Amino acid sequence: MIFILLLCPPILAAAIAALARPYRFWVGWLTAALSFAPLGAALWLCARVLDGEVSTLGPGEFLRADGLSALVAVCVGFVAALAAWLGPGLTVTDGYAAAERRSYRVFSNLFAFTMLLAVTAHNVGVMWVAIEATTITSALLIPLHTTKASVEASWKYILIGSVGIALAFVGTVLAYFDFVNLAGEQASALNWTSLLLSAPVLHDAVLKLAFVFILIGYGTKAGLAPMHTWLPDAHSESPSALSAMMSGVLLAVAIYAIVRWKIVVDASVGRAFTDGLLIVLGLLSLAIAAFTLIGQRNYKRLLAYSSIEHTGLTCLGLALGPLGVFAAMLHMINHTVTKSMMFLLAGRVQQRYRSTLIVEVPGLARTMPVTAGFFAAGIFAIAGLPPFGLFISEFALVRAGFAAGRVWLMALVLALLAVAFTALVTHLNRILYGPPPEPTPLGERDCWPLIPTGACILIIVILGLSLPPPVSRLLNKIVEIASP
Amino acid sequence: MDSLFSQLAVLGSSLTLIFALMLLWHRSVRAYTTAFAWQSVVLAGIVAVVAYFDRDLQLYLVASMLLLLKGWFIPRVLRRMEEPFGEQELKPYVNTASSLLIAALLVLFAHAVCRPLVAVSHLPTRAGMPLALGLIFVSLFVIASRKKALTQVIGFLMLENGIALLAVLGTYGIPLVVEIGVFLDLLFGFMVMQLFVYRIRATFESIDVDQLGRLKH
Repeated sequence: MIFILLLCPPILAAAIAALARPYRFWVGWLTAALSFAPLGAALWLCARVLDGEVSTLGPGEFLRADGLSALVAVCVGFVAALAAWLGPGLTVTDGYAAAERRSYRVFSNLFAFTMLLAVTAHNVGVMWVAIEATTITSALLIPLHTTKASVEASWKYILIGSVGIALAFVGTVLAYFDFVNLAGEQASALNWTSLLLSAPVLHDAVLKLAFVFILIGYGTKAGLAPMHTWLPDAHSESPSALSAMMSGVLLAVAIYAIVRWKIVVDASVGRAFTDGLLIVLGLLSLAIAAFTLIGQRNYKRLLAYSSIEHTGLTCLGLALGPLGVFAAMLHMINHTVTKSMMFLLAGRVQQRYRSTLIVEVPGLARTMPVTAGFFAAGIFAIAGLPPFGLFISEFALVRAGFAAGRVWLMALVLALLAVAFTALVTHLNRILYGPPPEPTPLGERDCWPLIPTGACILIIVILGLSLPPPVSRLLNKIVEIASP
Repeated sequence: MDSLFSQLAVLGSSLTLIFALMLLWHRSVRAYTTAFAWQSVVLAGIVAVVAYFDRDLQLYLVASMLLLLKGWFIPRVLRRMEEPFGEQELKPYVNTASSLLIAALLVLFAHAVCRPLVAVSHLPTRAGMPLALGLIFVSLFVIASRKKALTQVIGFLMLENGIALLAVLGTYGIPLVVEIGVFLDLLFGFMVMQLFVYRIRATFESIDVDQLGRLKH
């Protein structure tokens, strides 16, 4: 029941949007209403996890949701709902043609479905299939407005994404190869729990090789440097609602896949191997992103590079023991909420100024005062200032690093965070103040999208001031799974 | 019996690798399509051989899906895309002689990487696994070094062939549900890539990815 509620509404919404011709606005509203069902189901999954239950469905436990799945499913459900309510296809003023609105409604729902399937599939092969499908469903939406830049971005995305994910499949095949060698062919061999059970007897050398492929593969989707080159293009050229979904949760889903495999490999070869690789890639991502932020001229690319920075931080956290895993997961929640809100706000700015260049959008504080306030709050949040959630999770992460005895690493991380902070705040200054360009109308219009974005701010402030008991209990459940 | 099986596996894997190497010295996209079609036929043949020796009916199904999709349907679509233009690959980033040298090094590297795999396996097909990994590396090199979008698509398809080969040689086939998912992904992914190749042609009036240099930093 719970899984039906989670996975069927997006399929249903996509089918309705595809079949209802010509496109009418009720289709958009209906799909937006349906987007609440997966969010509710994901919250229900969390509640069951907190009761100590792991939900499963189907023959051979085809679907399975433990704490880790439930958390990422909530993130996906939340951002999918946000993107459904604020994306194209609801009002006349969204600036899209009917065919574009329809394809947005069809493919954004399919995109949400594939991500939800990826985090609830028990079989790591099916998880791979679902993550590969996220590339296909989202690539079609990037050039919703066909321009040279968006066509280029979508080509880069689908090529680099597909090749990367193919390498993750090589890793999956290698792990399966080792399993079959020892235990013979079994239908359940690729089930995550069976892999984990047999991990201690699998061969170290083979699993290490498999993990390298898997980390490069899913790391490409997660935007880890040096495989991140598709990310700024895809995030900056796609419609803002899609950028919100990609940056907010697609990266989280890829991280989820890495964590699943890390648990299996750790059980066989010990933590040190995977931790070392994650630290190298995480630090590299953080460094490249922080220094690229300084010279950025496009505010959507600014947000995209900040996503790379935060993915790098999450990876670092995963490598820092139980405390680090706790911090990394909290960081993922905070980043999901903050960054999806920021891309939606960036979409509002872009619609008003008709430009994504920082120098062409000055005076935001005068043209759209409320949007400007939210945008500023969001930039402070992603720069890691209190009272926002990302401050707390970054603090927890650095503390975990010191506790793990990695003093030099943490000093480096703090220095890079300071670079990113300076860059972000300097750019924010240019956006907020100065005279707005001549024909730009003053004052807020279409005010209702500000309500959900305001709610996002509220969430990150709450997470910045306190850690609600259900959240910390859920995170502790994940720590139990991820670093036993 | 086992030695015949093992020889067939190695022979087949070598053939698939040679078809991938053809991309390095030919220039016409039509020749690439033909190479890919034959490579897929050989791959389907290997799967059928494994199915015969392992007495596995599911694998016959996989072999026929491979033959139908990669041996017939995808090459047909590729030819239709290429025909009106007679696409020729441009001067690649790396010239033919160095390309072949790099490919040879990649195959050697694949052998080195595969040593732990071959050491733990007891299947008669294990000797083909380094060749499959070599095919994967060579395909990656093709994707990275060629300029036409269509060539990159073919490189990607060959990469998929390499993975399928690795799976069938190392494990006698992955579970059917995953296999079907992989086929669906491949089919849809290919259709989307094909759509994008048309879009690149329409917006840039060429499918030369050199033109795609607009987005930087």
